[in-house]
Amino acid sequence: MQASANNLNNTAITDHLVSRCKKGDTHAFRELYNAYSAAMYNICLRMTGNQADAEDTLQEAFMQVFKNIERLENAGSVTAWIKRIVVNHCLSHLRRKKVYFEEVDNIDVEEETIVDENDFAWTVAAIKDAIHVLPHGYRTVINLYIFEEYSHREIASMLDISESTVKTQYMRAKDKVRQIIKQRKLIR
Amino acid sequence: MPESSFEDFVRQHRQEFEEAGPPSRIWAQLEEQLVPRKKNRVIQMIGRHWLKAAAILVLVVNSVMIYQFLQMKKSQHLINVSPEMQEAKTYYTSQIEQRLQTIKSYPASVLGLDSVGRKELELRNETYQMLETELMQNPGNERIKAAMVRYYQMKLDLLDKILEELREKQPVSQKQSNYEREI
Repeated sequence: MQASANNLNNTAITDHLVSRCKKGDTHAFRELYNAYSAAMYNICLRMTGNQADAEDTLQEAFMQVFKNIERLENAGSVTAWIKRIVVNHCLSHLRRKKVYFEEVDNIDVEEETIVDENDFAWTVAAIKDAIHVLPHGYRTVINLYIFEEYSHREIASMLDISESTVKTQYMRAKDKVRQIIKQRKLIR
Repeated sequence: MPESSFEDFVRQHRQEFEEAGPPSRIWAQLEEQLVPRKKNRVIQMIGRHWLKAAAILVLVVNSVMIYQFLQMKKSQHLINVSPEMQEAKTYYTSQIEQRLQTIKSYPASVLGLDSVGRKELELRNETYQMLETELMQNPGNERIKAAMVRYYQMKLDLLDKILEELREKQPVSQKQSNYEREI
């Protein structure tokens, strides 16, 4: 089982680790990296969509973590803090690639169509493939909401768009995933 | 299928969506960036406490210089540079001093030497000082040592000749004529 940011709970060891990092202990940096790198790398992979960009972003983000850990007031929030730095670096990376998160008009209930469950055979691989081919904007929203478990409000704040736009984007992204899976199933 | 099924499926299979961790080179690259940062910290610390650092530096440099000066002074004695030359110097000095004392006992009218000439006969002249300084700077130089010995012998020969002439002019007491050449 791989580590995910959601199951990294702060422990007494983590608190001690943070205090050692604050003193500039390179061994502590290594331990911190070992504890979080797998989960954070997965965030980078999902957000950037490719391995090379994920590696670059992970490295930049961890350097930022090491440089700023002295400023972390509450060691108990280290997981959320690191995760937020990583996500922000991924968003910066996307913006550098000219990915814009723009306001959209509210959509109707047409997206909320009841779909016959027999048309869908949800599998991990199918969902991963479908998300991978989504446009950057949809992919970002669906990743932040479903995998990183940020609320619509938090995502709106991160992307500097309205909460309703986030909800709309999420609905559309989910619908796109459904369509892609359905099409691929039909092709087969 | 209800709308929530997608979210439910993802949550139920959350771990299966995770890939393996990053390659090890990422940490290696991070570590490279961390090491110079440590060096920068030292520079920043020096920058903040430059006055104290300068004072400490001055103290350290002074201490080293004083130590080196004392060591140099210590080593500048002939006995430290060349013990055998010190021994030769002691011997020849005593011999030369004995002859000089005898020469001085003659009246100036008989002696016929002015003060410059007398001074030249003593060991503490410029030629001797120069040879001793050369030996200090080149402690193992056998040619300088040989030159110093030749100088002593030459001086002794000269003094003996002077004494011989003086005795011919004016015979002296038993005490004054009793010298022998010793090498």
